[in-house]
Amino acid sequence: MSVALAPSRRDLVRAAAQRSLTRRRITGRIAQALCAVGAVASVAPLVALLYYTISRGAKVLSWGFLVNAPTPPGIPGGGISTAIVGSAEIVGLALIIAIPIALLAALFLFERSGRLAVALRFSADVLTGVPSIIIGIFAYALLVLPLHAFSDLAAAFALAVLMLPIMIRADEEAMRTIALDLWEAGIALGARRGRVARSVVLRGALPDLVTGNLLAIARAVGETAPLLFTLATPAAAMTLLIYTDGTQAFPIAQETAWGTALVLLAFVLLLSVAAKIAAWRISRRAR
Amino acid sequence: MSSDSTGVLPREGVAVSGVRAALLRKRTRFGEHAYTAFRWGGAGLFAAVVVALLLSIAGSSSQAITHSGVGFLWSGTWNPAAGEYGAGILVVGTLLTTAVAMVIVVPIGLGTAAFLSELAPGWLAGPLSTLIGLLAAVPSIVVGLWGLIVLTPIFANQVEPFLASMPLLGWLFRGEAYGPSILLASVVLAVMTLPTMVALSRTALAAVPVADREAALALGATRWQAVRKAVIPAARSGIQAAITLAVGRALGESIAVAMVIGNRPALPTSLTAPGATLGSAIVNQFAEASPGLGTSSVIALGAVLLLLTVAVNAGGQALLRSGGGHRVGTAGALR
Repeated sequence: MSVALAPSRRDLVRAAAQRSLTRRRITGRIAQALCAVGAVASVAPLVALLYYTISRGAKVLSWGFLVNAPTPPGIPGGGISTAIVGSAEIVGLALIIAIPIALLAALFLFERSGRLAVALRFSADVLTGVPSIIIGIFAYALLVLPLHAFSDLAAAFALAVLMLPIMIRADEEAMRTIALDLWEAGIALGARRGRVARSVVLRGALPDLVTGNLLAIARAVGETAPLLFTLATPAAAMTLLIYTDGTQAFPIAQETAWGTALVLLAFVLLLSVAAKIAAWRISRRAR
Repeated sequence: MSSDSTGVLPREGVAVSGVRAALLRKRTRFGEHAYTAFRWGGAGLFAAVVVALLLSIAGSSSQAITHSGVGFLWSGTWNPAAGEYGAGILVVGTLLTTAVAMVIVVPIGLGTAAFLSELAPGWLAGPLSTLIGLLAAVPSIVVGLWGLIVLTPIFANQVEPFLASMPLLGWLFRGEAYGPSILLASVVLAVMTLPTMVALSRTALAAVPVADREAALALGATRWQAVRKAVIPAARSGIQAAITLAVGRALGESIAVAMVIGNRPALPTSLTAPGATLGSAIVNQFAEASPGLGTSSVIALGAVLLLLTVAVNAGGQALLRSGGGHRVGTAGALR
């Protein structure tokens, strides 16, 4: 009796397993398809952003747009040269402040472990997440309010504060790619710490340092909120010009905003791609 | 590695004259001290910036807090003309836009991360994640401009009427479809936080050992089941960190939100109604604020926003650190 029943029970189990597998396979297919749809949805905004910025911005883009100063409303032939130069000046000044401090602080973190280093690292990570508008308020309260003057220096200070934590962490990560062995070998050879930092750590990490700092610059160039509190006129920086012109109802102002957005986007994406290429070449060389 | 002051001096017994050795030691010591001083200086300057930031925001908002009291935090009216300042409605607006943005971005971002890390072939995953990484580089002002000029009419004419006509969920979107709205602001925030969400959760998924997947597959799991039941649970803390940091970014984004939210500081009755957030209010009120109390009250909004974002980001960083022994800096993961 049991001998006769055994196969049928096995068949039942097998059929149930088959049903379960079919069901699980169908669920899996659906879930995988949804994930793929999600990926398409994730790329879509970038495509749409690029499409609109390029198609609307290209209409106004010309040599004159880049090199002419802005004209009063109603007079044609105006450009955004003051904004481009202004952005470059502010970011350049910010870099002069931020790069050395970030490098030294990163060396500090690289050579030290302990509670102080942990605390600094943590505050850098948290400061990275502090909204840029708050950093703008900070620069306003510290430099604009006491001096009663909006200035490029206040704007550069704000951008430097914004870049500092990003740079410190990126610089430190870059230095960590240099094996500790190399640092120890340098010290063991009798070299001074400063010498090892210069010839081993900084030199070895240079490509990674370049990548990290390029990305920080790309972020600073595109910031608007800190400039809102520190600059007097919108024509003094590209992002600010996009904000004031883009929020006006006049078509001409909006055209200028799109043109400026295209210039800004091209510059920022170029920086990011340059950083990517640098990182890619490094990883290829390391292999 | 931890001791700083003991430099490594030239070895004794090297054939140099006593005077030269002394000179060399002196120079070495000097260089060593200078280097130490510089390093401490760099770290100290950064620490000073952090402290100065906290102090100046607190100091500049003190006038508003003494005027309005602690009630500033939840008082609902923002009426500078009457001297009434309160952050309550703006806090609600900030939390609401962030929550709606997360409803959009978490499933899409997690699905994308799973697709990139687990399901897509390598030739597709690489370029796709590069593209999504580029989205992170797009300045927020450009996203805001796109939202304002391109998305606003689409939302006013198509998306919002369609959502309002939906069965069951339509009540969330009832009322006049203006275009600028809490919903539009949330969509813009979702676009801006998407790269963070994707990059960080993808890193978390990729850090799960291959053996976990193989074990699940060997037990007869389908590919999706291996992802759903083995990989995603193992990457949980990393995914939580991704969501937390995306929330932190969404809370603090101001300029793009100010361009599309409609800037009406009132309790929202519908997702398609205009609203205001802490960030958007700072952007809009700052220029009009009267010197003294008005400015101080706007800065106090910044202080509230700072508290919110620091709490959220500190939580996110703690989660990142707790993530299964491997430590991934935000900057590293986003690269």
